Amino acid sequence: MSTDQITGADMAPVRPRPWDPVVRVTHWTIAAAVIVNGLLIEPGGTVHVWIGWIALGTLALRLVWGVIGPREARFTAFLPDPRAAMSHLFDLVRGRPREYPSHNPAGALMAYTLWACLAVVVATGLIMTDGKSPVTIAEENAAVAAGDWSVLVDEEETGEGREGGGDVAEEVHEVAANLMLFLALLHVAGVALESRALGRNLVRGMVAGGRR
Amino acid sequence: MSVPEGSRARDRHGQLALAGVMVLQSVAVVFFMADAAADLLTEPLGSHSIVETLVTLALVAGVLLTGWQLRQTLERIRAQERTIETARGDLSRVIADQFAAWKLTPAERDVGLLALKGLDPAEIAEIRGAVPSTVRAQLTRIYSKAGVTGRAQFAAWFVEDLLDNGVADR
Repeated sequence: MSTDQITGADMAPVRPRPWDPVVRVTHWTIAAAVIVNGLLIEPGGTVHVWIGWIALGTLALRLVWGVIGPREARFTAFLPDPRAAMSHLFDLVRGRPREYPSHNPAGALMAYTLWACLAVVVATGLIMTDGKSPVTIAEENAAVAAGDWSVLVDEEETGEGREGGGDVAEEVHEVAANLMLFLALLHVAGVALESRALGRNLVRGMVAGGRR
Repeated sequence: MSVPEGSRARDRHGQLALAGVMVLQSVAVVFFMADAAADLLTEPLGSHSIVETLVTLALVAGVLLTGWQLRQTLERIRAQERTIETARGDLSRVIADQFAAWKLTPAERDVGLLALKGLDPAEIAEIRGAVPSTVRAQLTRIYSKAGVTGRAQFAAWFVEDLLDNGVADR
């Protein structure tokens, strides 16, 4: 029992609502996929490809949700606006950021950039694996392990023309993936700064669905 | 508050489960799409690829429908929350206005609000760091300013107000 009771009901501050479940689930799925594929496991294996495909499906869902989802999740709630993003960053440095119902302008730009990076990483990954699904890749690996080398012959035939293209794809894949990891770090730093400036933990809104 | 809190938590878990299923469905859609696309390229009009395309379309429709339903649910919950908040906000405004009209002092307003919330003089005294006899004297003054005989009538004054404006309209 505290003195809050006196003013608790009528002084309720405007608390931004937490993110909807689809935003939360897609956010953490993609975060986990990026961390596991980028930092934890060896690239190139079947698991790596599996996770890439999961990230692709999750990204697709988030983008669809940006059209059909509730207001805060829709793109129209956080259209990219570099100038607003800059002024928000200035406000943040001064320690007095504004509250926004959806992403703040800087956070919105970060979200779009991260999605673009992820799309590039996934696309180049698909080029590197010839668009084969992880199931196919696992089957081929099993076939090769069992002594059936015909898969490799097939690969060489189709692979002749795109040797150069494959190298470029690999290069882009790595650069975009590293860029994404760096941006993710920046994103975490931004959330920490903003949480301190606003005096409330922004991560909570991305984890819990409740209003407290 | 404990009953709606519990059911709301259940609602939240249900929504989270729906969202999780949507992610799984989306990943499945990507797999089926890739498979169907590959089959369409190798065997454009085979029955196999036609069936696969149909399955993919059905999955996509499933994801979109689930998403649409989830959005409806979320919006309904929001509307309810807004109504509750408005009602709560309006009631506190009504109380504050009435306290002002009765010319209660700031201390009396605090005591009156706590009394409306159902606290007895001893509890109010504990919160305000006062002795119960002071609180009882303040309550007596509040009741006389409000022209009510006691605590029950004091609380009823506002409930009556709420009933007139709220339920009667429906």
